[in-house]
Amino acid sequence: MCELRIQAHVAEHGFGGFWHPGLGQEGVQAGAVAALGRDDYLLYAHRGLGYAVAKGMSLTEVFGDLLARSTGSTGGKGAGIAHFCDPSVGVLGEGGTLGSGFVVGAGVGMSIRLRRSDQVCAIFFGDGAASRGTWHEAALEASVRKLPLVWICENNGWALSRPFNAQSPTENVADRAAAYGVPGVIVDGQDAIAVFDATQLAVQRARAGEGPTLIEAKTVRVRGHYEGDQQHYRDDRADAEDLDRDPVEILRRRIDAGRASELDAKVSAEVNAAFEEALAAPRAEAEEIIFMDVYA
Amino acid sequence: MHEQSQPMSDAPVLSYGRAINQALAEEMRRDERVWLMGQDIGRLGGVFGVTRGLLDEFGEQRVVDTGITETFIVGGAVGAAMSGTIPVVELQFADFILIAGDEVFHKLAKWRYMHGGRVELPVVVRAPTGIVGGAGAEHSQSLEALCMNVPGLKVVMPASPADAKGLLKSAIRDPNPVIYFEHKMLYRVKGPVPADERFMVPLGKASVRLAGEDLTVVATGLMVERALEAGRRLGEAGVSIEVIDPRSLVPLDIETIVRSVEKTSRALIVHEAPRTAGAGAEIAALIQEKAFFALDAPIWRLGGTDTPIPQDAELEEACIPSVDAIVEAAQELMRV
Repeated sequence: MCELRIQAHVAEHGFGGFWHPGLGQEGVQAGAVAALGRDDYLLYAHRGLGYAVAKGMSLTEVFGDLLARSTGSTGGKGAGIAHFCDPSVGVLGEGGTLGSGFVVGAGVGMSIRLRRSDQVCAIFFGDGAASRGTWHEAALEASVRKLPLVWICENNGWALSRPFNAQSPTENVADRAAAYGVPGVIVDGQDAIAVFDATQLAVQRARAGEGPTLIEAKTVRVRGHYEGDQQHYRDDRADAEDLDRDPVEILRRRIDAGRASELDAKVSAEVNAAFEEALAAPRAEAEEIIFMDVYA
Repeated sequence: MHEQSQPMSDAPVLSYGRAINQALAEEMRRDERVWLMGQDIGRLGGVFGVTRGLLDEFGEQRVVDTGITETFIVGGAVGAAMSGTIPVVELQFADFILIAGDEVFHKLAKWRYMHGGRVELPVVVRAPTGIVGGAGAEHSQSLEALCMNVPGLKVVMPASPADAKGLLKSAIRDPNPVIYFEHKMLYRVKGPVPADERFMVPLGKASVRLAGEDLTVVATGLMVERALEAGRRLGEAGVSIEVIDPRSLVPLDIETIVRSVEKTSRALIVHEAPRTAGAGAEIAALIQEKAFFALDAPIWRLGGTDTPIPQDAELEEACIPSVDAIVEAAQELMRV
């Protein structure tokens, strides 16, 4: 619903940056984050905001970030590609350069180890970002030290305009796990419960000191790379837009229809209220905000 | 902050490298959140021997050897700092800042800003800088101006053993990311270093290393020693130069430099980095903005050649300002 509300806003009013919709990938994001505790950390990927919302960030803050309002967690400085941050619920942020979360996340694992904490850190990334060299450096360092990490690849089949099979010599990202001596698990990313189960096992493994797990969730990119992308390069759009593969629909079928309607109404009201609140909030004053937070 | 808690003349004499080691050990004893990571810093004690002995005292959880994974060394420090520790990481050569460019210039410099000030990044990146007698073009650069041009980083360049210790301690306690350029040719240089654990040198405070009347010479890193030697020779020839070491380039103590120029009316800036768009260009611009009418002559810059550093030690030396070159430039500038 968050996704659809943003989509409607972008269609009507445009947007001060590039919104990279996560429609179709909510099942991975919500399912995986549900398996994390409040004290656990996550570094999210750039497509969607399911991670932050599922981890407990305020909707008004997240929407405030998207709309560059003073109520956003970054006050507008991380807006556009949608950076938000709330360390109090373990949402550490995201890099504008894809794949930068690998090494940062491995460092979070080092810190967890040093502090003798039982936290874990989940690192989300797309199949495109999985090509970065930072993946190799982080995966080597984290695996050899058995750091408490869970790598969650949202493989939606597209790195912007490049299909996954043109980027990877193997069929799956998970196949690469063998190189690092960690389990590589493939799950249906459209099934939030399956993602939850796989993540829960990986989290248990990480907490037990057994090291990282690579989970590859096969998912779909329903929309373009950014909202407004005409996607001329793409030949699988009918499949992508097939509602039978919508993770929200799939989850809905598992619960009582009456309960589902109740939830829809409740969530819709919450989302709309938060969006309106964010929209009504003032933009951050440029003079005030530009020079803030460069240095502590 | 005790900048000097005992007279320098009574302080024990230590090398620059050991002074860095002492700062690391003192800070690690003081605060268990402080830890080290880098290539060969544990078992070997660092390729320049700077971290020798620290593995024995602090163990492998806090003195961490890595693979050849610079993006992890710096990027990992970012993650570790955001989640409650204080990493001091070593890049084997300052040049490797470029290997970890995304991590240094994006994650380290910008993540606090991008994330609304909600995370702190107390990270020190130790970066052995400059020439060392034949290390070649990709192991000899002086990249401080690059770091000055990316807001979010603090940039420190100690030139004496005492400053090496005092500045590193301040850098470790600073809540911001600090790129600490330690000069490879200075590791063995000795000088008095206060043993008092409270001894610190604040970032953003220049040091007047030699007082003089006729010409202000602003020098950084290895060039400070050379400017001081030039000062001795010029003194014999009747020219009195004032040598100022900014010690940190971000923040830059331009006030001390301007005060000196207002007294001498002449300024020469000396650094090892290529002259074009080096730190000297910024310092010269600031001097003329703040003290134009005090100047009796143009501000001159003496810098490294606008070339890569060749591998041969003699060719290498020909690329950076010598004591002779500083003496000649000073004498010529006095005639302008």
